[in-house]
Amino acid sequence: MVHTISVGRVVIYERKHPQMIDARGLYKQFGDVVAVQDLDIHVQAGSVYALLGPNGAGKSTTINMLTTLLQPDRGQITIAGLSIPQNAATIRRMIGVTFQDLVLDRDLTGRESLDFHGRLYGLDSQTRRTRIHELLELVELSGAADRLTGTYSGGMRRRLELARCLMMHPQILFLDEPTQGLDPQHRAMIWEYLRTLQRTRGMTVVITTHAMDEAELLADYVGIIDHGRMVTHGTVNALISQFGDDIVRMRMPTFPTVTWDVYPWVTQAHRVNQELLVGVDNGARRLPELLDIVRSHGAQVIEVTMQRPHLGDVFLRTTGRALRDEVTQ
Amino acid sequence: MIHATYAIWLRHMRKFLRNREELGGLLIQPILWVGLFGVGMGRMLATQNDYLSFMLPGILALTALGGAAGGGMMFLDERLRGIMREYMVAPIPRLSILLGHMLATVSKAFFQITIVCAIGVLAGATFPNSMGEIARGFIALLCFTLGFAGIALAVASRSRSIMGYHGMIFLFNLPLLFASNALYELDSAPTWMQWVAQCNPATWLIAVMRGSESALVYLSGLVIFAVLGTWFALQRFQQLTK
Repeated sequence: MVHTISVGRVVIYERKHPQMIDARGLYKQFGDVVAVQDLDIHVQAGSVYALLGPNGAGKSTTINMLTTLLQPDRGQITIAGLSIPQNAATIRRMIGVTFQDLVLDRDLTGRESLDFHGRLYGLDSQTRRTRIHELLELVELSGAADRLTGTYSGGMRRRLELARCLMMHPQILFLDEPTQGLDPQHRAMIWEYLRTLQRTRGMTVVITTHAMDEAELLADYVGIIDHGRMVTHGTVNALISQFGDDIVRMRMPTFPTVTWDVYPWVTQAHRVNQELLVGVDNGARRLPELLDIVRSHGAQVIEVTMQRPHLGDVFLRTTGRALRDEVTQ
Repeated sequence: MIHATYAIWLRHMRKFLRNREELGGLLIQPILWVGLFGVGMGRMLATQNDYLSFMLPGILALTALGGAAGGGMMFLDERLRGIMREYMVAPIPRLSILLGHMLATVSKAFFQITIVCAIGVLAGATFPNSMGEIARGFIALLCFTLGFAGIALAVASRSRSIMGYHGMIFLFNLPLLFASNALYELDSAPTWMQWVAQCNPATWLIAVMRGSESALVYLSGLVIFAVLGTWFALQRFQQLTK
């Protein structure tokens, strides 16, 4: 719904954000493994929502449930006010999906892949031709359109998949790990496409990622998921500001017992592996005082680093683990 | 529904015609069967006049079975590689996904069946004269292929690996032929085997093609078999989203 407010000669379009995705109490179990439990997701129309979590956290299972590919054991999902599974066919018309692993047929050319997709959705040949031309231009694959996709690089395949999921002008894009396995240059390229699409067409985008920079850069709203549960969620800024302004990391062999509550400028403090992480209102100013406190409690500080908080810290704090460790495992 | 079935069929046909290995394999296999097995066995079995004409329906049944197994393989390959999800997330009926694959399977099988018949004619096999009998044989072969394509797709809907699928499919591919009237007359077989063979759709197919007196009964059996095969595949396929 769009409300128009006139201010003098300037017309401001204020988009009222209805909820595009509303999922409550999702639960899914495979054999003995609980993949997703008690998960709620709410996504505003026209926003980018990032589901952030380590591999195996339940991100893909969640996406599969939201895209009608998998029925939850419990819980309800409505997309644009339509509930799944009753309205699955209508919802499938509204969404574009790319999957974590590349699902292009290597024995078809790029053009054929798009053409086949259009046929599957019942587009006539003229519309298909025009649309394929536009999309190939958009993802800069016109020159390689008649090559078999088996000969494409990872970045080209991701771009073709992106083009394919845009074919039917979807209202919602679901992108499961859209930049997995890509080099930094191609990642930046995909990010640029996504930002442009979202800005120019006002699409609702849901991405899953285990890359914090990706979530921070693209998302309006982030949900952090771990072991199938939603650990925390909020806007990127809100999540980061929960951490105070700066994080001081101190590596030390033994940890002091400090009652941090008596220092009003300390927003939070906790231990991770061999480090003590302390959130403070102003890192540069509080650092000497902080070191004094730690030393006066008999602890020896081996190394100090200070950083502006980012989503990685939010993840660390809420799950007690570094996301990077999970990824490399 | 129809456009989606057609799209999936078309996709497979395009890939099939492009794949020289598959095309070549499909061409050579019937030549080996008719040329080596049919002609060779015919010389050995002096008791049978025109053994080639006798066993040609059996070779056609085997070709159809091989085609069905190949169709299941194609389906499993798309499932394991994740290509199937493109169909699953599209607003098309699940049945159209299955039908698209089944039609592609049948088309490939009939491509090969045509070659078997052509080589059969060249090697001197005799065919029925009346159009009615040919049409009956064609429908029987179609139902037989659809029924087994359904079974193969049902197995492929649940298999976790290509090896597992092959294990399942080869379990009943050749034995089905041996437990039928394809290679020998059943009169000389033990009673229990005659019973088993009577329940075997391969026997029904071959009986129709050899112009049995109860051809229409067998043909009805094959139609039911085709419907049941499709239904079975759909049941198993729908489990994928559970």
